[in-house]
Amino acid sequence: MSALQELLALPDRRDNPYVKEWKDSGRRIVGSACGYVPEELIWASGLLPYRVECRGCTETNLADVYMHRFNCTYARCILQAGLSGEYDFLDGFCFLNGCEQIRRMYEIWDKHINTDYLYMITVPHSIYEGGFKWYEEEILNFREQLRTNFGKRISDDSVREAIKVYNESRRLVEKLYDMRKAEDVPLSGADAMRIVLSAFHMPRDRYNELLAEALGEIESSGEHVEYSARLMVGGSAMDDPHLLEIIEDLGGVVVTDSLCYGSRHFLNLVEENGNPIQALAKRYYYHNPCPRMLGEYDNRLKFNEEMARGADVDGIILQKIVFCDTHGADNVMLTEDLEEMGIPVLTLEREYMLSDIGRFRTRIEAFMERIARR
Amino acid sequence: MIFTGCDVGSLSGEAVLLEDDKIIGYEIIRVRPRPEDTAREVTAQALAKAGLEFEDLDYCVSTGYGRERIEFAQSSISEISCHGRGAHWANPNVRTIIDIGGQDCKVIRVDKLGYMVDFVMNDKCAAGTGRFLELMAKSLGVELEQLGPLALSAEDTVGITKTCSVLAMYDVLCLLYDGETPQRIASGVCSAMAERISKLAKRVGIKPEVAMTGGVAKNVAVVSQLKEILGLEQLELPNVDPQIIGALGAALFAEERAKRQLRTSAVGGE
Repeated sequence: MSALQELLALPDRRDNPYVKEWKDSGRRIVGSACGYVPEELIWASGLLPYRVECRGCTETNLADVYMHRFNCTYARCILQAGLSGEYDFLDGFCFLNGCEQIRRMYEIWDKHINTDYLYMITVPHSIYEGGFKWYEEEILNFREQLRTNFGKRISDDSVREAIKVYNESRRLVEKLYDMRKAEDVPLSGADAMRIVLSAFHMPRDRYNELLAEALGEIESSGEHVEYSARLMVGGSAMDDPHLLEIIEDLGGVVVTDSLCYGSRHFLNLVEENGNPIQALAKRYYYHNPCPRMLGEYDNRLKFNEEMARGADVDGIILQKIVFCDTHGADNVMLTEDLEEMGIPVLTLEREYMLSDIGRFRTRIEAFMERIARR
Repeated sequence: MIFTGCDVGSLSGEAVLLEDDKIIGYEIIRVRPRPEDTAREVTAQALAKAGLEFEDLDYCVSTGYGRERIEFAQSSISEISCHGRGAHWANPNVRTIIDIGGQDCKVIRVDKLGYMVDFVMNDKCAAGTGRFLELMAKSLGVELEQLGPLALSAEDTVGITKTCSVLAMYDVLCLLYDGETPQRIASGVCSAMAERISKLAKRVGIKPEVAMTGGVAKNVAVVSQLKEILGLEQLELPNVDPQIIGALGAALFAEERAKRQLRTSAVGGE
């Protein structure tokens, strides 16, 4: 299997060979539930950071016992996966108060699921100097916690090393995004997402090797996808290539995104010189903000516009998971403002698990009829 | 040449036959369990009315939820584009279309040629759709067609606070037990519906003239309430059943596509 094939296949595999190998060699894995968790610190402790998700989840019957139907299905699906034992391989799980849904889920997880080590990082909901100090302290606490629980002291040098590895991923993923900006788009958005998601499921140094090789394969293949419109996807946590396939089956090609499982996770490098903890705090606290951050709407609008213009898109699909209040309000404002800038926007509401495809398709189809290059 | 539009929705199926820019026949039926059966039956009935047969059709475009399962259609287009196009044909000054079907409502903006430029569609919920009215009529023990006139006959209205179909049914039940008159309740139901639609319409922005299409446009009380809320004098389309606008739009696209096909084959194109 070539590097490219391997990265494309990994997100859909139930048996993750990297997880198995890691565990078989006696090493431990720590899950993370939000883009504000500094993975570098986990990696620097000799642990494998694993961003938790639950693509392919079809029901939430176990989670519904503890969570209300007004909780979003993203949180409910993750809890479902935990309750049904899918995440038994985790030796630890670092939560974050990214949104209320995940924060509430943490408490239920804590009570009903036996994960050896659970931790919650809290991040202030707005950006100001005191908040930065708070977050920096949280990272220091997290470092101390990891040391006590997993028995390895995390030196500044090992954090610097981790930063280098993770920055390398960021540069490579950015290159992948750059390639998709071309008039001839070398790969579908669904495949690009698969490649990006693989980063969360394997040792990052190995990922960097595979991705560098895969980028070479993409470049030399000379292939490109046919399309009638270039699209960007934004909104709620979205990690499902099959959803992008539905969009792309209707003639569009997704060339960029403003997602926390996509560009927002990888843009913004960490400074490699100076105090590494401070550098991490800076990058994570000030990175392109999630709508959880109050008072940052203008920055998010600017970011969405830049991503859209940078990839020359014909339209943006802003989706949100039902009851996602953070993205719910943002999507309405973004739609108004981006439309005013001359960028067509379609807003969609969905459940985390793929369902109600018919209505989804109707709206995307109509949107394509509106924006397709005639 | 004869062009057909076939709209298979969640509650009803419609077929429209178009010749020389005139509607020569149409039919509306209640949906069958399989969309392909609905399509064939409604089209056959429309053809029979016009004294035609399936062989006489030159080009058919399908639309609606069942649009991809209709084998005699040459292509399909979303009902959103079709409603825009159909309403614009019926009244070329129309720029905003409020379409309320069996299971969803949409507000569509079109350009001066009738092509869709923007739209919003409600999220998965029966509130504010034809299904909601159907359930309310059932709760009141009247036929769907009687609900509008019944509402208009009320002297004043009673508030229905819930637009969730299931909860509103419970509301209606409680009101009936409290001795409310069916007239006032019907009026409350139609007002709640109009209120909900108006919010959706305001999100896209209303550009006159505005037309209402879909089965719910036949409910006189909803239409008059909506006029009042939006401050508009006219929502009705002239001389055409509002329920066939989707199928009409599809027929117009059929005409456009058939002619384009003829042109390209004439110049030896694809």
